[in-house]
Amino acid sequence: MIRLDHVSKTYEAGVQALDDISLHIAPGEFVFIMGDSGSGKSTLIKLLQKELNPTRGKIMINGKDISKLKQKQVPDFRRKVGVVFQDFRLLQDRNVYENVAFAMRVIEAPRREIKKRVPYVLSLVGLAAKYRSFPRQLSGGEQQRVAIARALVNRPKIILADEPTGNLDGGNAREIMKLLEEINERGTTVVVVTHNTEIVRAMNKRVIIIDRGNVASDQGGE
Amino acid sequence: MRISSLFYNLKQGLLNIWHNKMFSLASLATMTACIFLFGVFYSISVNFDAMVHNAEEGVAVTVYFDEDVTTSQMQEIGDMIAIRPEVSKYKFISADEAWETFKKEYFGDEHSEAADSFSGDNPLQYMANYEIYLEDVSQQKSLVDWLKSLDGVREVHQSEAVANTLTDFNSLIRFISGGIIIILIGVAVFLISNTVTVGISVRREEIAIMKLIGARDGFVRAPFIVEGIVIGLVGSVIPLALLFFLYKKIITYVAERFNALEGMFAFIPVTEVFRILVPVSLVLGVGIGYLGSKITLRRHLRV
Repeated sequence: MIRLDHVSKTYEAGVQALDDISLHIAPGEFVFIMGDSGSGKSTLIKLLQKELNPTRGKIMINGKDISKLKQKQVPDFRRKVGVVFQDFRLLQDRNVYENVAFAMRVIEAPRREIKKRVPYVLSLVGLAAKYRSFPRQLSGGEQQRVAIARALVNRPKIILADEPTGNLDGGNAREIMKLLEEINERGTTVVVVTHNTEIVRAMNKRVIIIDRGNVASDQGGE
Repeated sequence: MRISSLFYNLKQGLLNIWHNKMFSLASLATMTACIFLFGVFYSISVNFDAMVHNAEEGVAVTVYFDEDVTTSQMQEIGDMIAIRPEVSKYKFISADEAWETFKKEYFGDEHSEAADSFSGDNPLQYMANYEIYLEDVSQQKSLVDWLKSLDGVREVHQSEAVANTLTDFNSLIRFISGGIIIILIGVAVFLISNTVTVGISVRREEIAIMKLIGARDGFVRAPFIVEGIVIGLVGSVIPLALLFFLYKKIITYVAERFNALEGMFAFIPVTEVFRILVPVSLVLGVGIGYLGSKITLRRHLRV
């Protein structure tokens, strides 16, 4: 599913964020990526979204070397990878339904499909009753649920979540993790970048620790 | 692009204009001024062209022959004149016809006796000539030079001042209007570009999300292209409607106020002016709008 072969990333200023990393994430796995600020974990997520290209090495996702994708092939690749951010990144002028439908509209899904799929995904994340609410009317946990619904709505094979509980209290954080676990149980590969050691310990999943651009440890949870 | 996506982007483009009212209005006003001036200058220019053409029909070049030129040589010269592309028509005036016309003009019917005193002699016996009318007055000089170079041609008369003044004046109008329109097009493109830039910065977060969830470049850009095109389109429809009503009013006013003009030429009807003006203005408006958006998207929206 995801394979990194000797991947390095050096920014233009000369800062080396990742140094010769190799790792493999199998289809259907749930993986935590941990590390201190500046360890290179955000760079890793950006590489997996093809927001950045590696300086060296190969990143294979679903059997394709994504660093070799042409610019016009990038949208198709990104449709197979759902992303969730720490700050939710919802459109404040649109309600819950529209925020989720937006993800389908931009990939030009048929209207009929949107009308069918969005309520279903909202019920999966437990927000079917709040489909007309605006982000400002929701709690942090609910906003993150909307963001997860948006990431999920186009049936991605992988979900990349960058600090999804970073802005949430303990209870909401646990609920979001539970939701991601349920999504994973349905067959979606989930990669979560987090600082939250308590949650990581409680979930008992594979944990990859990045330190100064290197894989410091890689331990399977189960 | 799907029909539903087309409507979605159209709606987003219109929303961009609405959210960005002040800049959109400034762009629209400049566009309206630009197309309005273009329409005004175009209307003046086509009417002036008609005036010049009208005048051209009355401007003739007259060719006189050497005394020893025979009728058949005159015929040969006539044949050569006939095939010149700048000649619209030509007429042979024999010496007798020239004398008859002269008699009528100078002696009139009352003094025909004075003319009769010339009895059988034609004082204008060497004044047989060709009267040549041109398609385009600006070609007059080259025709005259060519005529002067012919064997057997004694003299060529032309009304240089009238022809050149009309042609020069029309060129001046076109030059000034061209300059003003180019400046206004520049300003319109600049303002539309600014409007779209503001739209992009307002929607920066939305664009970033769109890109991350797999929107194609065309889909991200479409609302901004719609924004530019709508401003361009509305900015050309408003001045066209204004011009339509003003044109009718102005030609009626001018015709009433300056009666002398009426005898000289007729204004071109509004429908005829608009047959060219409408498609050209719409293409110009939409083109400027598209260009303004496209330049900005290339500069600010690398998707």
